[in-house]
Amino acid sequence: MNTEATGRSSNELRDRTNLMDLVSEKNAYVSRRVYADPEIYELEQERLFRRVWTFIAHDSELPKPGDYVTRELAGEPVVLIRGDDGIVRGFLNSCRHRGMRLCRADKGRASLLRCPYHGWSYSKTGTLLGVFAKELYSPDHLNKANLGLIPIAQLDSYRGLIFGTWSSEVPPLEKFLGDMRFYLDIYLDRTDGGTVVFGIPQVWDVETNWKFAADNFTGDNFHLASTHGSIVQLGLLPPDPMAISHGHLVRAEHGHVLHFVKGPPDPSWEYFGLPKELVPQLERNLNARQLELVKGHSFSVGSVFPNLSFMQVMVQGDFESPPTPFLSFRQWQPMGPTSTRIRSYLLIEKDAPEPYREASYKAYVRTFGPGGIFEQDDLENWEECTRANRGKIAQRYGLHHGMGIHLPVDTSFPGPGEAWSGAYGERTQLAFYGEWQRWLTDATPWTR
Amino acid sequence: MKESITRVPTGSAEYSELVQWLYDEAYLLDSGEFEQWFNLMTEDISYEMPARISVMPKEGSGFAEHSGLFSENHSSLMARVKRLQTEQAWAEQPRSRTRHLITNVVVDRMSSGDFDVRSAFLITRARADRVSDTFTGERHDILRRAGSSWKLARRLILLDQTVIKSHNLSFFF
Repeated sequence: MNTEATGRSSNELRDRTNLMDLVSEKNAYVSRRVYADPEIYELEQERLFRRVWTFIAHDSELPKPGDYVTRELAGEPVVLIRGDDGIVRGFLNSCRHRGMRLCRADKGRASLLRCPYHGWSYSKTGTLLGVFAKELYSPDHLNKANLGLIPIAQLDSYRGLIFGTWSSEVPPLEKFLGDMRFYLDIYLDRTDGGTVVFGIPQVWDVETNWKFAADNFTGDNFHLASTHGSIVQLGLLPPDPMAISHGHLVRAEHGHVLHFVKGPPDPSWEYFGLPKELVPQLERNLNARQLELVKGHSFSVGSVFPNLSFMQVMVQGDFESPPTPFLSFRQWQPMGPTSTRIRSYLLIEKDAPEPYREASYKAYVRTFGPGGIFEQDDLENWEECTRANRGKIAQRYGLHHGMGIHLPVDTSFPGPGEAWSGAYGERTQLAFYGEWQRWLTDATPWTR
Repeated sequence: MKESITRVPTGSAEYSELVQWLYDEAYLLDSGEFEQWFNLMTEDISYEMPARISVMPKEGSGFAEHSGLFSENHSSLMARVKRLQTEQAWAEQPRSRTRHLITNVVVDRMSSGDFDVRSAFLITRARADRVSDTFTGERHDILRRAGSSWKLARRLILLDQTVIKSHNLSFFF
C-alpha cells in the first residue's frame, strides 16, 4: 500500500515488522501479535472493518414499517429502520446537529426519529424533517437537503441476513459472498418459508480477540474431544476422538470457509437431523449437489468472512432428549484489541413444526450461549489464549496451524471452492488468516 | 386462571422458614455443594432465565418471552451438576468463587399450597485474578412442601443486565 509521511511502508508496523510476515498460509504460520496488538487492531478497523461487508441484523428482527434496531458497524453506532415502502435503510445513529445518538433502545418502533437533545427530527428514510426554531436560521445556513442522516454506504441482504459497509468502493454483496451463497442457501433457503430469528439474540462481552472466535468456527472440529471433554465424560458426545473426523473442509471464495461432518450411519443423522416432515421441502428447494451434502451430513460449521459464523449441529443438552439439531448464526464484533461482543442468534425454519421449534431452542440454549454447557468452556479457552498471546516474549514464537495441510484437494466434492477430505484440519483457518492479511495489505483486496 | 394468593407477613414463622431455606440454598451454592443443591429441586423443576433487551417504556420490560440464557429441566440441571464433577469442565476448573446475596424477600401463599417467593439477588463471581463479575436481578421461585422441608419447583431469573458482562455463566443463579 501507499507510503506514509514517516517514510516506512504502510505495511510496516511501528517496529518495522511487515504485515506480510505476520501470517503465512504456505508455512502454516500465524503470529501471536494478531490477537493482542493495539496497532494491528487500529489497522484492522481502518483497512478491514471500515471497508468490508459485515452482518448487522436479520430481516425478521424488524418486520414492520417503523421497526428499528440499533447496532454497531465498525465501531460506529448505526440504526436500521424499515420504511413505509418496506425497505430497510441504515444510518449512522447520530443527529447532524450535535451528534446525539438518536435511537437509544436496542429495538423499537417509531414514526420518525426525533433527537432528544434539541428536537431535530428525521423521516424513516433519513430526511431531515424539522429543526427547532427554524425561523432563527437564515436559509443559507440551514440547507435541510444536506442535513439528512448519514447513510451506511452500502446496505443489502442475502436470505434475510442484512449486511452493510462504510465503503462505496467494495463490490456488491452478492459478489462479495461469491460461491459461499451455494452453501448459505443450504442453511437459510432450504425450506419454502426460509429461516427466521427465534426470539432475541444472546449478547455477551468477552475479553478475547474476535479472531479467536472466528478461528474456532472456520473449521476447528478437532477441539471438541478436549475442550468439550466434560460432555464426552457425560456420555453426550462420542468417546472416540476420531468419531467426528469424517467429512470435508471447504474453502469458498473471498475467505469464506466451512466444514461438513458425517454422523453415524443412521437415517436419524441424515439431513442434519432436521424433522423428516421438512425433507420434501429440502428436495424442492435445494439443487442435487446441495441436497447430496445435506443428506450426507450431520453437522456443518463455518464463517462468512470476516466475523459472521454459523453452526448447524445436533446436540444433547440433557440426558433424556435425543441429539437435536439447531442452527445458530453468531457475530464476533470487535470492541477493542482484546474485547469482543458476541451476538448469537437461533434461526428456525418458518415452516418447522412447533414441537421441533421448542426442542431446537432447548438444545441450543442448554449447550450454547454464555450459559451453554459447551460454550462456557470455549470462552474460558479464548480468553486465556488472548491473555497469554499478549506477551512480548510469547510473541517471539508463532502459533501452529499445520494439521492436514499436506493433503490434496478432493476434486470429487460436490460443492464449489476447494475441498479437502476429512473434517479435521487447519486449511480453513489458514484461508481465513490469509484473507485477513489481504485486507490489511492490499488496496483492493476484492480484485483477484 | 390466576391463582388466589395470600401474602405471608414478614416475621411470621412461615416467612422465616422460607427465608431460611433461601439462605441455606445460597450457602450450598457458594460452598460448591452442587449435588446437595440439586436435591432441593422437584422432578418437574423449571429453571429459566429469559434474554433481555433495552427498550422504551411503552414496549415493556424488554424480556423475550421465548428466548433466554437458561431453559432447564431436571435432566439438564443434572447434566450441569454432573459436568462439574468431570475432570474437564474447564470453565469451573479452577473453580469460581460465588456469593449469592438474597434480599427483599416477598412471600405469597398460592391456593395450590405452594409458595410464590420473590427475592432480589446480588451475585458476585470471582475467578482467578480477574475483576469480579457482578449480577443483579430478581428471582421468582415456586417452593413446594416436601416432608419437613421445601423443594424448588420453578425459578424464573430476571437479570437486570441486557448484555452479559462476563465470558460465561458457568454457575447457578
